[in-house]
Amino acid sequence: MPPPPSLLKGRAIPAHIAGIATYLPEQILSNDALAALYPSWPAAKILEKTGIHERHIAADDETATDLAFAAACRLFDSGAVERADVDFLILCTQAPDYLLPTSACILQHRLGLSTQIGALDINLGCSGFVYGLSLAAGLIASGAASTILLLTADTYSKFIHPQDKSVRTLFGDGAAATLICAGEPDDIARIGPFVFGTDGSGARDLIVEAGGARCPRSTLTAEETTDATGNVRSRDNLYMNGGAVLNFTLREVPRAVLALLDKTQTTAEDYDRFVLHQANKFMLDALQKKLAVPPKRVSRHFERIGNTVSSTIPFVLEREMADGGCSPGTRMMLVGFGVGLSWAAASIVF
Amino acid sequence: MSEFYEGLAEILEVDTAEVKPELTLGESWDSLAIVSTIALIDDVYDIQVRPEKLADCETVGDVEKLVAAEQGA
Repeated sequence: MPPPPSLLKGRAIPAHIAGIATYLPEQILSNDALAALYPSWPAAKILEKTGIHERHIAADDETATDLAFAAACRLFDSGAVERADVDFLILCTQAPDYLLPTSACILQHRLGLSTQIGALDINLGCSGFVYGLSLAAGLIASGAASTILLLTADTYSKFIHPQDKSVRTLFGDGAAATLICAGEPDDIARIGPFVFGTDGSGARDLIVEAGGARCPRSTLTAEETTDATGNVRSRDNLYMNGGAVLNFTLREVPRAVLALLDKTQTTAEDYDRFVLHQANKFMLDALQKKLAVPPKRVSRHFERIGNTVSSTIPFVLEREMADGGCSPGTRMMLVGFGVGLSWAAASIVF
Repeated sequence: MSEFYEGLAEILEVDTAEVKPELTLGESWDSLAIVSTIALIDDVYDIQVRPEKLADCETVGDVEKLVAAEQGA
C-alpha cells in the first residue's frame, strides 16, 4: 500500500502544543459556604481532606459551550492563532448544549471560524484532554489538519445535588482552549506516543444515570434518596463511588505509566513533569506515592479550582507555561483517568 | 502492622495506642475514612479491597481479616 501523500520525506508530521488559554466562571463556591450546609463538615476539614479552597460554578444560564467559547476567545486574544487559520475544532464535553446538533458546529459559528473546517464533539470526562490530543496528533500526522483547536469544557455542578457533599466539594466548572499545530519532521517538540485504556465494567462507578436514551428523566428518576453518610441525590444527579474509582486509579494508572515508559523506551527520570488528572489532593498523594516520583515533579493545581474534569491537565499546563516550565525540550507525561472508566497517557515534548 | 495501625489512627483520629483489633470503627467510619483506608491498604500491603466490604466492617479486626482474605486470594 503506498504511503499517504502527507508523509514528508517518509516521516509522519509531528504535532505540538502551541498555546493554552483557560476560563473559569465568575461565581465561587467556598469551603465556608459548603460548611454552612453540612454541619459536621467544617471548612478546615474540607480543606485538609480535599486540598481545595474553592471552586468556580457556572451561572444558571451559562453552559459548558459558553465556557469553551470564553476560553477560545482568550486564546485568540492572546495572539496565539488567528481564527481564520484554525482548520479543525474538537470539543470535549459531557454537557453539550443539545443532543443534536453537535455543539462544536455551534461553536464554529459563534467563534467566527471558517466554514471549511472540521468540527466534532467527543464525550469523555477526565481522560478527555489526552484523548483529544491523540485525535489532534493523528489528524496532523496524516495531513488531514494542521492547526487544531481542542476545547475542553464541563459543568458537573449542574449534575450535582446541592446536598451531596461527597461530590460537591470536589468538582469545579471550567474550560480550556488548547492549540495544537503541525511541525516539521525534525522538530523535537511532539505529542505522543500514547497508551489507552477502557473498562466499561466500571460504568456505574461515576454516572449521571437519567437523562439519556437508556433511562429518560421522569418523576421517578427525580426521587431523592439519602445514602448511609447523609448525601442526598436522585438518579438525575451525578453519583460517584469514590472507593471504586480510587481502586481503579491505583490499579490502572501505574500500569499505564509503565506501559508508556516501555513503549517509549524511557524511564521516569526522563520526564521533567508528570501531569496527572487533578482528581483531588487525596488521589494525587496516593498516586505520587505509588509511582515513586519526586513530589516536585508531580504538578498540582486544584486548590482554587477543584476538579475541572476534562480541563484539569490544560489548567496545569497553562500555569507551567506561564511559569517558564515549558522551555523547548521539556518532556512531560500526561495521564488522564476517570469516568467511563477511561484512561490515557501521553508523552509530550515542548 | 505498626505502619498500618499508624495510618488507621490518623484516619480514625485517635492515638495509635488505641488501635487494636477490638476497636470499633464507630461514627468516624464514613465514606472518606473508607476511601482513605483503601489507599492505606494499597500502600502498606499492595492489594486492593472493595469499598462495600470495608463499609461492612465494624472493628479494626474486621478490616484486618479483610486484608488477610485478599492476601490469601
